[in-house]
Amino acid sequence: MPSEIGNHRLALSRMLQLASTMLPVGAYSYSQGLEWAIESGTVHDANTAQLWVNDVLHIYQTSFELPVLQRLYQAWQAGDESAISTWDAFFKAGRDTAEALAETRQMGYSLRRLLNDLQQLPADFLAKLNRLNEPAFPTVYAGAACLWQIGAQDMLHTYAWSWMENQVSAAMKTIPLGQVAGQKIMLALGQLLPQIIEQAMQLHDDEISNFAPALSMAGCLHETQYSRLFRS
Amino acid sequence: MNDPYLSHEAMQNQPCATTGAQAGMAPWQASLTLEFAEKNGRSSLSKKCHQGPLVIQKVLYPEGQSVCHGIIVHPPGGVAGGDALRLEVQLGQSSHALLTTPGASKWYKANGREASQHLKFDLATAAHLEWLPQENILFDGAMLNLSAEINLAQDANYAGWEILCFGRQASREQWQSGQLQQRLVIRREHKMIWQERAVLKPDSRVIASMAGLCGKVVSGSFVVAAGLLPETLLAECRQMTVEQMTVESGAQMAVTALPEIFSARYIGLSSQSARQYFEALWHILRPWYANRPASRPRIWNT
Repeated sequence: MPSEIGNHRLALSRMLQLASTMLPVGAYSYSQGLEWAIESGTVHDANTAQLWVNDVLHIYQTSFELPVLQRLYQAWQAGDESAISTWDAFFKAGRDTAEALAETRQMGYSLRRLLNDLQQLPADFLAKLNRLNEPAFPTVYAGAACLWQIGAQDMLHTYAWSWMENQVSAAMKTIPLGQVAGQKIMLALGQLLPQIIEQAMQLHDDEISNFAPALSMAGCLHETQYSRLFRS
Repeated sequence: MNDPYLSHEAMQNQPCATTGAQAGMAPWQASLTLEFAEKNGRSSLSKKCHQGPLVIQKVLYPEGQSVCHGIIVHPPGGVAGGDALRLEVQLGQSSHALLTTPGASKWYKANGREASQHLKFDLATAAHLEWLPQENILFDGAMLNLSAEINLAQDANYAGWEILCFGRQASREQWQSGQLQQRLVIRREHKMIWQERAVLKPDSRVIASMAGLCGKVVSGSFVVAAGLLPETLLAECRQMTVEQMTVESGAQMAVTALPEIFSARYIGLSSQSARQYFEALWHILRPWYANRPASRPRIWNT
């Protein structure tokens, strides 16, 4: 097998490993405001669940999380530790609720710990990773993707897929929805991902936006929700 | 990384005042630079310079010597396409200033030229700044760029709000064309601790979205950078609900306390409700971050 194809297939393995719900970073324990949207009645069935996840995918993931993830990846690729720190701080400063910030720090912590515990990754990579102060999840994720030679577009797609799957799973547990209803949402939104990734990749720095007030407020109100499945 | 908001140095080196002749119907390039200083427990306006129509009225001391109140006035009354306003405020060690505006800022139809307002606040050790302006009204066709850059030294505190009203509600005007770019960056000792960015057009998905503005025409954000708010006060802030405030039903309000920032948001149909909400929170928060009760500027009554 020519090595180029071999490398590509290897990157696919790594991509699937990052995308797997077995990845021990605790993503399943967060609903990112969706549990409040359900509690308050905004989201109450399969249609409204799909609408909410689709909206957040467009107005928040595409405008903020994915473009920052892409810039973190470029910074890792260039080995530019100062740019990694700058975009890491930018991401954390843009997480505008206590739970959103705590979530990304916890997941960043867990993924970094895992990468260390694997005991197989290059020492210089781990040294760079471990110099970061409470890195956000996308910061660590981009580092791993870069190390494993996953392409930028593939990484963004994988990341968005995992986010989406987690949101749909939260909707299924909370509304609740059946397996088929969940799969239908994944099928519909999965179809949009290629275009969304393209869009996210074309944004200029000054087009990045984290403005999603009802999403932010859902995160705020979730902090005191009386009964909840998901972490705050 | 070509965005100046990401690079601290790039912003520091900009000139204090814009230059250039004002001729005929040329847009206004207005800038105002203020410096406050503290001496023997008294905060005073130690320096001001302005170019173009952006001025500060005589400063006031309605709550004693330690807090200097100032009213920032833009005499033309509204901002037209191409106008650029720049307000720079430096607060010396332990000084405390409260700045507000005499009325709503009106952003007129742009005629294809973007109008802008840039705020740059630099706070030395233990300084306090409160930026509590009245709302921004975006006329139909307004194209504007609002930015605020706040740099805090150790123990410096900042409290500021910004309210946006899309379209003139009094005349039921809708914001049907135009664009808005808004940015807020707060740094403490050069480290970015808070940033908000919005890039909006009337047909942006975020305007109608149930996770965005939900079709509301007023959006407000109130931020206090003074460390972690104690749990008891956070609980008090959470008591300020739609029912409690007698604001319009359908408005949404929420607060959160992060390690470095307290944030409150309002979306609804009334900028008056947004102001009422933020002011109620301000009454709870001011004794915590400034060690004194809220003292309502009289200009808000007019």
